[in-house]
Amino acid sequence: MILVVVLALPFVGVDDYYLHLLIMAGLFYLLAAGMNLLLAAGQLNLGHTAFFGIGAYTSGLLAVHSGISPLLTLPMAAVFTGFIGYLLGRLTLKLRGAYFVLVTVGFAEVIRLVATNWMDLTQGPMGLAGIPPFNLGTERWTLVSKRDYYYLMVVMAGGTLLLTARLLGSRVGRALAAIQSNESLAESSGISAYSHTMLAMIVSCVLAGVAGGFYAHYITFLSPELFGFQNTVTMAVMVVAGGQGMVLGPAVGSLVFTFVPEFLRMAAFYRMLLYGIILLLVVMYMPRGLVYYLRAILGGGAPEPAAAATADRSFVSEAALASGGGAALAMREVTVRFGGLAAVDGLSLHLGRGEILALIGPNGAGKSTAFNVITGFQPADAGRVEFDGADITGLPPYRIAERGLVRMFQRTSVFPEAPALDNVLTACHRLARTRLWELVLTTQAYREEERGHRERAQGLLNFVGLGGKAGEPAKNLSCGEQRLLGLAIALAPDPSVLLLDEPAAGLNAVETEQLMRLIEEIRGHGLSVLLVEHDMKLVMGMCDRVMVLNYGVKIAEGTPAEIQRHPEVIRAYLGSGEILADA
Amino acid sequence: MIAELVQHIVNGLIVGGGYALMGIGLTLIFGIMRVVNFAHGEFFMMGAFFLFTLFSLWGVNFFAASVLSVLGVGVVGAVVERLILRRLRETPIEIPMLATVALSVIIQNAAILIWDPSPKTIKHVFSPLPLTLGPVHVVSIRVFAGLVAVALIVGSHLLIQKTRIGRAMRATFQDTDMARLAGVDVDKVYMFTFGFGAALAGASGALLGAVFWVYPAMGDLAALKSFAVVIMGGLGNFLGAIVGGLLLGVSESLGAGYISSGYKDAIGFVLIILLLLWRPQGLFGKKVLPR
Repeated sequence: MILVVVLALPFVGVDDYYLHLLIMAGLFYLLAAGMNLLLAAGQLNLGHTAFFGIGAYTSGLLAVHSGISPLLTLPMAAVFTGFIGYLLGRLTLKLRGAYFVLVTVGFAEVIRLVATNWMDLTQGPMGLAGIPPFNLGTERWTLVSKRDYYYLMVVMAGGTLLLTARLLGSRVGRALAAIQSNESLAESSGISAYSHTMLAMIVSCVLAGVAGGFYAHYITFLSPELFGFQNTVTMAVMVVAGGQGMVLGPAVGSLVFTFVPEFLRMAAFYRMLLYGIILLLVVMYMPRGLVYYLRAILGGGAPEPAAAATADRSFVSEAALASGGGAALAMREVTVRFGGLAAVDGLSLHLGRGEILALIGPNGAGKSTAFNVITGFQPADAGRVEFDGADITGLPPYRIAERGLVRMFQRTSVFPEAPALDNVLTACHRLARTRLWELVLTTQAYREEERGHRERAQGLLNFVGLGGKAGEPAKNLSCGEQRLLGLAIALAPDPSVLLLDEPAAGLNAVETEQLMRLIEEIRGHGLSVLLVEHDMKLVMGMCDRVMVLNYGVKIAEGTPAEIQRHPEVIRAYLGSGEILADA
Repeated sequence: MIAELVQHIVNGLIVGGGYALMGIGLTLIFGIMRVVNFAHGEFFMMGAFFLFTLFSLWGVNFFAASVLSVLGVGVVGAVVERLILRRLRETPIEIPMLATVALSVIIQNAAILIWDPSPKTIKHVFSPLPLTLGPVHVVSIRVFAGLVAVALIVGSHLLIQKTRIGRAMRATFQDTDMARLAGVDVDKVYMFTFGFGAALAGASGALLGAVFWVYPAMGDLAALKSFAVVIMGGLGNFLGAIVGGLLLGVSESLGAGYISSGYKDAIGFVLIILLLLWRPQGLFGKKVLPR
């Protein structure tokens, strides 16, 4: 329906002026859609116009100087722009939030100055003129009229819409959202923040390169003004006012904010002032974007039907456990220093297969530091960490999770904004076998994999007793339910070893009982569990062995019964005997 | 040779003082409120235009006009916080950021309507003759600008370290919730911080406006440079903003003198890119461990 309207527009009396505006809206859509993709991971690129300009100048200069057909220079420009995006990404994607924003602003400024001052290449402020119009291979097939360019833009914008919809609606989109929402948890679920933000960066820069190349041959004249901050502001406005993170957000935003300034021409001198005021009002009163509020008014899209609530609990694959003998996890003489203080001092630890080992000790004993070292969040100053007999010291967290060593966090164990089911689905990431192109094309294999993961996620929710809350955003769950959801998230990547950081913190007695039953059952499936816990009932009631830390040093190790009588342990707990009383 | 070098450095330090003032304002606002203020350049511009209006158009005494201009920008900043940013406090970082972008569009275009876009000079009260110290010649207005910048930097430092509101600002900077629990009026701190940061930008604009030109778009480049300053020094880092500002001023002056004046304005960002190659987490960046 919409497609017919779009295709018919040039024939129903829409004149060249409006066609031009529609073409420009499409152009800005390509730019805004790319910006939106990176913003899905929480990274706002306020230098995006630099990539637009780089694409435009690359295609324009190639066509002017080498005489190659624009049909070829445009893809070359897109690839080159993507490459520049890759280089900038290598440099800046480790930065977060405001730092990334400001560095990208600066990058665009540098490029603008280069375009202005490198007279020999760009002809500076005079601009680059005489760029050939677009053609389809030979000059006989040159695009002349607005209508021609309009249809070319329809194809490009449609492709962009499909591409971004596929990316955002797939595991890539979930991973990007997870990185924005809780980067540590994403990494410990096997999602590489760097490679996903890099993917978004490259795709968004390629789109900007395409938009730039199109612009060069459509307008046939380029000037350094392309790199102006005003252009980036326009794109950012389209994304945020349209609805960031949503597929249709940038599309609606680019249409509205191409036409609004045109209508404001009537206001003559007051045009930009009014534009600013409208912008401010939109940001203040519609911070989630037009699409969000439109959807709310129209009653919202139907929620996805819940996957069949299978009672299947076989969430552990044979593959996860099919590893050789020996220790599941071992720390060898690991030391971590903060300044002069050793938080963990020559600590060795051994976790057998199918074993539940508890790490206890007073606050500041080094338990959390030990967890951080094992899972790759904290480098060790000395010593090794071995998992399944392989050295994993110094690997990034997502690599460690990929191998099947997964952790549950103490405080931030969920992705708050996402529904419970999506929380678990996101963490199934490392199980995906399909390639990026299969995902973009939505092949049969991809659809089946996605369905399988959805079932697995629902199964895990059932397992922890949250089967009925699949659609509930995680932040609406009670504290105890969030812990259980955290457990389901930790199980989703199919781990063989589970690290639980104070799983019972904040749980009441009934919930703790339930948690203990679940951990027992998890071990029953053959998983090994290492946990840090203050709840002595849980520690003494279900662990095979207990290790006691104090000031980063192991002071005792043994069965719960032995630990309760150990004189040093009692002294470490201030001799209060609380450890006995609790148990 | 040496005389020329010293001359460049002195010129750079004076401009750098202005950058440092802007940077301090920006870094305080970010450190305490988590807002990247894209209207910072417009506060800078307003400082210059208020001075131009009060002194050049209305004939108010130069020094009184300077003080009034800075205070005026501070009041505008406080009002902006109260009416706009306060409502956006619980939103993701890009929302208040875009609000300040919108604000900068509004202020700049209002300035065009009020004062027209043509550049103006402030015919200040200082002798046009340079002060000469050995081989170095500095026009007296520049000496004045440099001294005032130093005084304002020291004054800001004392305000933050020694006064009651300064203590409340430091508390809010460290932990907003704890500060609130300890009885700090966080709303007041935010309003004061934004007004104070804006006033510093206004002071910088008044000083540099008196030295150079005054026009509505003068804040664009100044804002970009203050961004460079705070990235170099670390967002939220007071000392870093001073060091970053002076460093940028001097390297621009040297770059313009010895390399190319066309690329002068890119130097700050090239420095940042080199810095990132050397320290990807930024000069003062720290990794935060998860729990």
